[in-house]
Amino acid sequence: MDDQVASRIEVKALSLSYGSEVVLDALSLPIPSGQITVLAGPNGCGKSTLLRAIRRLHAPQSGQVLLDAEDIAKLNGKALGRRIGLLAQSPSAPQDMTVEELVRLGRYPHQAMMQPWGAGDNAAVAAAMAGTGVADMRQRRIGSLSGGQLQRAWIAMVLAQETDVICLDEPVNHLDMAHQLDCLELVTRLNKEQGRTIVLVLHDLNLAARYADQLVFVANGKVRERGAPEAMMRSDLIEEVFNVTAEIIIDPVHKRPICIPHRRG
Amino acid sequence: MSDLAIARRRMMTGPATIAVLAVLAVFVILFLAGVGFGSTWIPLDTVTSVLLGGGERTDRLVVLQLRLPRVLAAAIAGGAIAYAGYLLQRITRNELASPGVLGVVDGAALGVVLFLAIFSNESNALTVPVAWQPLAAALGAMTAIALVFLLAGRQASSAIRLILFGIAIAAVAKALTTIFMLIGPIYQAAQAARWLAGAVNTINWSEVQIMLTVLVPVGIVAGIAARHLPPADLDDVSSRSIGLNLPVYRIIMFLLAALLTAGAVAFAGGVGFVGLIAPHMARLLVGRGRVAGVVMSILLGAIILMGADLLIRVAFAPLEVPAGTVTAIIGAPYFLYLLMRKDSTNG
Amino acid sequence: MVESMSGGVRAASSRWPIYVALALGLGVAMLASLTLGYKLYGLDEVWMALFAHDGSETATVIAGLRLPRALIAPLAGAALGMAGVMVQTLSRNRIASPDTLGLNAGASMAVVLATVVFGVGSLAGLSLAAALGALLTSIIVFGVAAGAGGLSPLKIVLVGVTFAGLAHAVVEIVLTSNEAQLQQLLFWLSGAFVDRPISLFFNGLPVVLVGATLAFALTAALDALQADDATAASLGVPLLAVRGLTFVAVSLLTGAAVSMAGPVAFVGLVVPHAARGLVGLRHRHQLAAAALVGAIYTTLADVAARFVIYPVEAPVGAITAVVGAATLVLLLMRRLA
Repeated sequence: MDDQVASRIEVKALSLSYGSEVVLDALSLPIPSGQITVLAGPNGCGKSTLLRAIRRLHAPQSGQVLLDAEDIAKLNGKALGRRIGLLAQSPSAPQDMTVEELVRLGRYPHQAMMQPWGAGDNAAVAAAMAGTGVADMRQRRIGSLSGGQLQRAWIAMVLAQETDVICLDEPVNHLDMAHQLDCLELVTRLNKEQGRTIVLVLHDLNLAARYADQLVFVANGKVRERGAPEAMMRSDLIEEVFNVTAEIIIDPVHKRPICIPHRRG
Repeated sequence: MSDLAIARRRMMTGPATIAVLAVLAVFVILFLAGVGFGSTWIPLDTVTSVLLGGGERTDRLVVLQLRLPRVLAAAIAGGAIAYAGYLLQRITRNELASPGVLGVVDGAALGVVLFLAIFSNESNALTVPVAWQPLAAALGAMTAIALVFLLAGRQASSAIRLILFGIAIAAVAKALTTIFMLIGPIYQAAQAARWLAGAVNTINWSEVQIMLTVLVPVGIVAGIAARHLPPADLDDVSSRSIGLNLPVYRIIMFLLAALLTAGAVAFAGGVGFVGLIAPHMARLLVGRGRVAGVVMSILLGAIILMGADLLIRVAFAPLEVPAGTVTAIIGAPYFLYLLMRKDSTNG
Repeated sequence: MVESMSGGVRAASSRWPIYVALALGLGVAMLASLTLGYKLYGLDEVWMALFAHDGSETATVIAGLRLPRALIAPLAGAALGMAGVMVQTLSRNRIASPDTLGLNAGASMAVVLATVVFGVGSLAGLSLAAALGALLTSIIVFGVAAGAGGLSPLKIVLVGVTFAGLAHAVVEIVLTSNEAQLQQLLFWLSGAFVDRPISLFFNGLPVVLVGATLAFALTAALDALQADDATAASLGVPLLAVRGLTFVAVSLLTGAAVSMAGPVAFVGLVVPHAARGLVGLRHRHQLAAAALVGAIYTTLADVAARFVIYPVEAPVGAITAVVGAATLVLLLMRRLA
């Protein structure tokens, strides 16, 4: 379905192991440009590792990741940082760092010895803070923020990188419902209003189905199947991948499929 | 786990028992050799007969008054410090913990230097019997421990916090020690420096008796407390849920370890490194069983310190290189090697 | 600029007043170092000694004895302050410092060995030995601590303290077999600015400048390193290279300080906290402020060392140790670290 949309990122036969443990097994996956791709799967399926491999935090044993048809292994770190941003799973920073200092970190890939901090950097930071609604908290220490506010601050940092592709690794796991909504609505806005390509790892399958343009089921280090949520949310497929029997209904508000697991296996 | 398996896990396993017996044999041989070696070599069988109550008068004199205290002191101090190290490493669940980090050794050093400074007259002679020195060292050690725990307050159950407080106290003690060593005469400085590095050569029989009187009860108490040691692989929350009051327990264990260290260090000086190495080697040899671990640690600690002392007498005579220094030099590379191995407990 | 604790807000205003105040403070401290001591000199005598030397005893004392320490103390303080900032960032631990990582001990061990065992006499040689000692120590300590189980604050501290113990043991062996030098070495081993030839200053200055330049070149990366590894890596920070270069910078700075003044305790622990409190977390400012605060701190400590056990000179390291330990205890008790 999305083969008509150009692939921003192309994962080609990526294999990655930790020692003798195979985590990604010749995995291939296109990430369409300007869409939200959500990686879902059971614990230990390799979805987080895949996301990190896309951002080149791990070196694969074989295979490639292509960004706009370029092999990312050949790009230098800062250049890659200007094109793909990643919000890690449990990011941390000193508790007494201010929001502004945190967001400023996102400008690192744009700084060079001969190009110290300039107006462009200030503008990017301001836009990032405005876009996430943290501008009025800029001088507050991140240790004093609530979970939802903190997550927005981190997203602001990634935004300040001004990358076309943004990856987020389980960004809402520890947030309450209201903040989960906030965060994912924000991500959706970034996609719809600014055309950024988003790759998300989400634990909650229903949230995944609600927000994804392309939903990808990862199992045992391979892509089991990918497609639009309507096509992916099927009882038989969910039972195979997630090991639960689930009933599928259509969410009356978002008109997207949701699953109701009711039995193991 | 079946009842039999549990019971067997508590006692020593077969291979562990063999290892302990083997090490015990080494201990005995080293002990006898240590007593036998000196300006005149006394054969091992003579030593044995003296120890058992017989032997000629001259031999008895040499062995019991001159040689035995020193070797015994090394064994006891080494064993006590190793014991302390074992307890510390188990309770912090970190094999890098050693008795030296709690500031105890530096406190003892300050006690010694203050003692030398206060009780020396103008001609650099001590005005009180030198037998009081260990008491000064012990007082210094206990003050340091007390300060560390007082300052740490409720944070005392956190290993890193306690150690950091220990570092702070140690630094202050070191600074004050240096100041007193500088404003005092050189005699004290050299004397203190030697003590600081760990020396058992000046120990006499009565001091050994005091060591035993102090350390054995503490050791027994520690042994009883150690029965409640959580299994090495269990984390804090799980330990608490099996009924162990972890913060209080930890503080007690830290205290006992500090007491053992103070007792050893008061007589033998800065031998803290033994407390780092011996429990490691013990774990390598007998695994994680508690009984085997304690026994092996004590034996190995004694062996290491006796061995170092013997080495000094054999190789470095008449230069009195401090035993603690030798253990540090030999132990450090071993320690570093240990750390670089992949299978360490959670840091 | 006042930092209010409630609501965790830090007022954003220009930092220039702070730097001006610090620079002035440094000037005052250095003047104090020149005028105060066993004998008290007036400002006019200082002026004369520095710019219109008349061969008198006063001028000789000021120019020959006071001036070297008035220069070496701030330089060493600045170096240690900057090294402290980098160590704390690198180990993501506000309690870390060149001391607790054993760098000071390693550098002193290298100097003692170089002097006594290898008979190195030249100042350049000793500086090199100190820097090498610090570098080797940092590699060993970080390498060992980062080994099995991964880097954790507890591990770094334990390895550092143990390594320091080892270095001290080596030094003690040397001391006990060289009783004649014991007194002298002892004093130096606590850190002292007294009785230092001014050539040490000129020897240490280029090393400090190189180290500082390297440090300032790394500020952007160091800022990013304050976040976790995954975040820093996704920003494009070359982790290994940055850490390696930071080690080099820290070693140069620590080595320079130790070769000039021996291991002055806890400066690298305390100063970064003060610097952060004044100017925030951006390393461009942390480093600059730490250099100034460190310089002031050690200079004032040096002045205090002249009076604490008057008329005898106390080793300045003893003073910084007591102050530093007290600060450490305070930080721990208030859970600020």
